[in-house]
Amino acid sequence: MKKINLLKVFLTAVLIAPFGGWGLLAQMPNDAIYMPKGQVCVGTMYTHSSWKEYWENTLKRENLNIGTHTTQSVMVMPAIGITNRFNVILGLPYVWTKTSAGNLMGQKGLQDLSGWLKWKMVDVKGFTINGLLGASIPVSKYVPDFLPMSIGLQCRTVSARILPSFQHKSGAYVTGHWTYSWRSNIHVDRDAYQADDRVYNTNEVSVPNATDWGARVGILKRKWQTEVFVENFSCVNGDNIRRNDMPFPTNNMEATTVGWYGKLQPKALGMNARVSYVTSGLNMGQSTSIMVGVLYLFNFKK
Amino acid sequence: MKKFFPYLKYSGITLAILVGVFACDKTIEEPQRVGYAPASVDEKAGTWKTYLLASAEEISVPAPTAVTSSDYVAELTALKGLTANLSQEQKEAVVYWGAGAVYRWNEIARELAARYNIPPASTVDGKYPVPDAANPLADPKFPFANPPYTSRALAYLSVAQYDALVSAWNYKYKFKRSAPSKVDATIPVALPTSTLPSYPSEDAVVAAASFTILKAMFPGEAPYLEAKMKEHLASRQWAGMNVTSDLTAGSDLGNAVAAKVMGRARTDGMGAANNQTLTAGMIEAAKSRGIKEPWVSQEAPARPAMLPNFGAVQTWNFDRKTLEQIRPVMPYVVGSAEWQKELDELKSIQNKQTREQARIANYWADGAGSYTPPGHWHRAAANAAHEAKFSEIKMARTLALLGTAEMDAGIACWETKYYYYTPRPQQFGVKTSVGLPNFPSYTSGHSTFSAAAATVLGYIFPDQAAKFDAQAQEASVSRIYGLIHYRIDCELGLKHGKVIGEYAIARGKADGSGL
Repeated sequence: MKKINLLKVFLTAVLIAPFGGWGLLAQMPNDAIYMPKGQVCVGTMYTHSSWKEYWENTLKRENLNIGTHTTQSVMVMPAIGITNRFNVILGLPYVWTKTSAGNLMGQKGLQDLSGWLKWKMVDVKGFTINGLLGASIPVSKYVPDFLPMSIGLQCRTVSARILPSFQHKSGAYVTGHWTYSWRSNIHVDRDAYQADDRVYNTNEVSVPNATDWGARVGILKRKWQTEVFVENFSCVNGDNIRRNDMPFPTNNMEATTVGWYGKLQPKALGMNARVSYVTSGLNMGQSTSIMVGVLYLFNFKK
Repeated sequence: MKKFFPYLKYSGITLAILVGVFACDKTIEEPQRVGYAPASVDEKAGTWKTYLLASAEEISVPAPTAVTSSDYVAELTALKGLTANLSQEQKEAVVYWGAGAVYRWNEIARELAARYNIPPASTVDGKYPVPDAANPLADPKFPFANPPYTSRALAYLSVAQYDALVSAWNYKYKFKRSAPSKVDATIPVALPTSTLPSYPSEDAVVAAASFTILKAMFPGEAPYLEAKMKEHLASRQWAGMNVTSDLTAGSDLGNAVAAKVMGRARTDGMGAANNQTLTAGMIEAAKSRGIKEPWVSQEAPARPAMLPNFGAVQTWNFDRKTLEQIRPVMPYVVGSAEWQKELDELKSIQNKQTREQARIANYWADGAGSYTPPGHWHRAAANAAHEAKFSEIKMARTLALLGTAEMDAGIACWETKYYYYTPRPQQFGVKTSVGLPNFPSYTSGHSTFSAAAATVLGYIFPDQAAKFDAQAQEASVSRIYGLIHYRIDCELGLKHGKVIGEYAIARGKADGSGL
């Protein structure tokens, strides 16, 4: 019923690394691959991310009243080929958290709906420059400041990303990206809170903007893909977790992550997987994340 | 051209969104308070009953120089110079302190309470170091400004401010030295004026008294507090409100009164409030009263109970015998049908906590890193008094009545907690959405603090009594929604708090204010 040119059928990969922290960002398209016009690939990914140690400011510590902190999510993510060089990617995760020790109640719910416009601006002899514009908006009224149990921060975000890539005829590729994300102020349930070593007598909280970058090398073939990557997420400012206190949305969170991503999609049905590990950070957990997903390609081009 | 159209379109969209984003403002708007001429200057307040001063004239204040004297004229000339060419920073200081001396120092105290309200971290060998007053900035910082500590710090602050202001009002109307701008109309003033005599300066009295108390309560903050105090005093001259001799007399009076108030603080029993050797005996006594399963710290490693002997600290508005008489009755014991019903209520909320329940639990949580429930209620009281345009002395009276009631509530509630030593719901598998305090369950501190506060504030602001009462009810039930208290903890805590608040009202009705 559908003409499927597998060589062209590639889902945009998913970046869930920062998710391993306090439940920050959901997903960010980070490759130079495009759905051809009229094709839609829907990925459904399960992610399990956990940490036992975290950085309280710069102090790396464990917390016996948390034990191991686990964030899990299931995300549905359609990637839509509008044209051969312009895609739209949507994502919506359901997230739930728990701890292995202590008495903090786990939180759960639909998190933030995100969308990316991805545009291949330059395409010369295997070298491409891609521009992405993303936005996200919370879709439920989850509590943002019961960290580290909260499933997200309730920010509305807008992100701009530049993503250069080079792919050799052999299938080997190297890709980098850099992103700036604007994050809106949020409102919390309490009407006073402490940040920047002072008390704010309001329920409005300023969440710092953030940048992220990534570099990845891999091989992309007709039916499969494999890559290794390093990524970094950094707030542009923010305060630090006070000694023995809990995190707060104003914190200057940072994480550097290394990992592997792979995909196998011999036909319309495929799967992908990703493992990652935070090597260094600030005001975040040192998480290990595993993701597995099922991909399915729909071709609406007659 | 057509070929490029999509690019132009996307670029346009991109640009539009980016402009929208750059335009978005991340600054945090907080409610701003400014100065006012008081609704009444309360000229008879020099006769109001003090808490610790034997009389309004216990501390003597020298008579001021006459406004016709050459010394005073020289002071006026100097003042005029100080009001000229203010920097932006100086102008902002004038507006900041102009909102009210008692108001600002109460706010500063709450801020310090929040900054110091973090439980110490455990060490690698599983111990919890005790904060050291002699080394306040080491880890763990001194103090751990938990709810009892904060209730006490705010009580002494407000009592010192009030007693010092009663004395100041006495001398103001004894000496009747007019404000500089009333003596010399060419003195520019940056704040609303009233008929209140200016010697000794009420601002200097409050600044000095507050500095002395807070420096003792938060010893690591002495440089910060000194800078605040100096700015406060200077701002009165930048605003054209006080000559130097007004300020000097006020500072001397404030310091002397606060020194006397600190005399009580040093001997009120707080030094023994963290006596952990008493808990074994407390547990045995609770068992002898029928408690089957005593409270056990739910933290890992087990943390010593928070201030187990705070219940022995000296109260303000009633005596020890009364404290024992008004102590809430024995709660439901573990295993009883009533206890099981209340545990089941919590488990049911845990399974399907609504967003509104979570909101209420979060709004009133006032946990680690906050100014605690006593701070929450001081903020409400200070704002209500500000909106009612209370004079400094009436503001101080309000906060002293509230502050002593809150400290009494803390003492009586803590005495109850360790008298019965009851277990938290977390000892039976319940989680929490607000964090679990490290002390016995019955009665609820939030309920006791809030009912005491709402009762006092309902007396001072009768037209808002229903609102304060509803807030206390919500603060109380928030601890059920947050899953850390049984219903009986909250309901009997509320009743207890109301009785405690009534004792503060009785004091207020008898203080000679006629209010």
